[in-house]
Amino acid sequence: MYILEQILNGVCQGSIYALMAIGYAFIYGIVGLVTFSYGEVAMVGAFAAYYAFILFGNNLLIGCIAGIAGGVVAGMLIYKFCYERFLLAPKHIAIICTVAISQLFKSLAQIYFGTEVKPMASLFGGKYIQLGDLRVTYVQILVLVMVIIMASGLSLFTKKTQVGMQLRAVAQDKKAAALVGIHVNRMALLGNCIGCALGGTAGLLLAVYYGNVYATMGQAVGFKAFSAVVLGGLSNVGAAAVGGMLIGLLENIGIMFFSANYRDTIAFVFMVVVLIFMPQGIGTKKGYRQ
Amino acid sequence: MLKVEHLTVTYGSTQAVTDISFEVKEHEIVSLIGANGAGKTSTLLALSGIVEKDSGSVWLKGQDISRQPAHKIVQMGLCHVPEGRNVFPQLTVEENLITGKTICKNMSKAELNNWLEEQYELFPRLRERRRQQGGTLSGGEQQMLAIARGLMSDPQLIMMDEPTLGLAPIVVDEIFNLILKIQSLGKTVLLIEQNANMSLSVCDRAYVLERGHIILTGAGEDLLDNPTVQKAYLGI
Repeated sequence: MYILEQILNGVCQGSIYALMAIGYAFIYGIVGLVTFSYGEVAMVGAFAAYYAFILFGNNLLIGCIAGIAGGVVAGMLIYKFCYERFLLAPKHIAIICTVAISQLFKSLAQIYFGTEVKPMASLFGGKYIQLGDLRVTYVQILVLVMVIIMASGLSLFTKKTQVGMQLRAVAQDKKAAALVGIHVNRMALLGNCIGCALGGTAGLLLAVYYGNVYATMGQAVGFKAFSAVVLGGLSNVGAAAVGGMLIGLLENIGIMFFSANYRDTIAFVFMVVVLIFMPQGIGTKKGYRQ
Repeated sequence: MLKVEHLTVTYGSTQAVTDISFEVKEHEIVSLIGANGAGKTSTLLALSGIVEKDSGSVWLKGQDISRQPAHKIVQMGLCHVPEGRNVFPQLTVEENLITGKTICKNMSKAELNNWLEEQYELFPRLRERRRQQGGTLSGGEQQMLAIARGLMSDPQLIMMDEPTLGLAPIVVDEIFNLILKIQSLGKTVLLIEQNANMSLSVCDRAYVLERGHIILTGAGEDLLDNPTVQKAYLGI
């Protein structure tokens, strides 16, 4: 039964990483730049939800809205300071800027929210469903439901709406998009905010899942989301999600054989091994690496 | 319709277009011809707001569009079909066409369908391929899609950059027939072509660009008889 529990834990954590990876790949596709501030977007989302739970008495809906809104606000700031100002500059300038703003978010969080680990509200009081020998907690169900809702909502939005079509057009060819009258910068801002909304949601889910929130929580998850996206081939949203799920599963199955202290090591070793044998990532055809 | 005055475009220290002035009158087909690197594409990119102008002004139907961003210029009625077609490869043909209608907010489904139907009548092959991804079309079909996508914005003036580049001779004829058909629909056309012979045959007037300067101008058929043009561009 232990292995089934670990697989379930892996699926839950993997789906949070997958959500982050989807958002990350979405941002890369629309904006055309790698970001190193995505972990801090998750942290902002987690803190926004943490304070919303305190203010509104553990109201799940308000907490979710706060987490998403936190991610969107962080996304707007990142776009304004890192991307918009450097649209015509060499790409590395914007990327370095995302590193800087990541440090800024982290430091501000430490100053204003404190450096200690804060306990997250217990939303369901440890309730669970017993399926044979397997115990599925309400928190795990919440994580899976939220990830499915957010991922399928994004998929429907991009496929079925005019704005979604314009976002896909911008991701495929920015010059052509401008020439058909699409406001490319506005779409890039929107795409960045949507990606960050997923990041904020992932932060909220991580905080609820692990039961705590702290200023430096974004660092490891940010790198895991980045690893998942690299595994997927950068802009392939579906493959990035698979990459995230694989990392979550491997971490949890891996700690059955090694110490839990090696959780992060397992994830990053896996990324290195995959990239040695499949440098193009799992979702990109050979020779098409971005 | 379009008036360009003293336009200069520079990339770093290289001047691609130097102080050129020209105009395009309503319902005309005007051609810009010149060798590679003459500044034709840079001129069009500057007019559509993709490339920054160093100096000069651009007027469309009396409105100054010199400092407008690309998406605004499309809204004002100037459409640019770029060299290399630039269709959206993973959008279907129909989705590609719909993106061409971006500038019209709150359009009803019926109106949108009418617009699509107009393009399908003009380009019947696109109707057959409407559910196919843009990137899977042949070169000629992609060119038709790029032109149809441009026409979806109902432009007053459509600029085409090398529409026949890399196409089979039979498709080249088809594209030039389409250009004449677009003119007959009341549109104004600014055309860039390396195929000087065909280009001068269909246009009302033409400008010859050389190293960023306009060196000759005149009616298309007059330039066909011009010894300089014949020697440099027609291989006679």
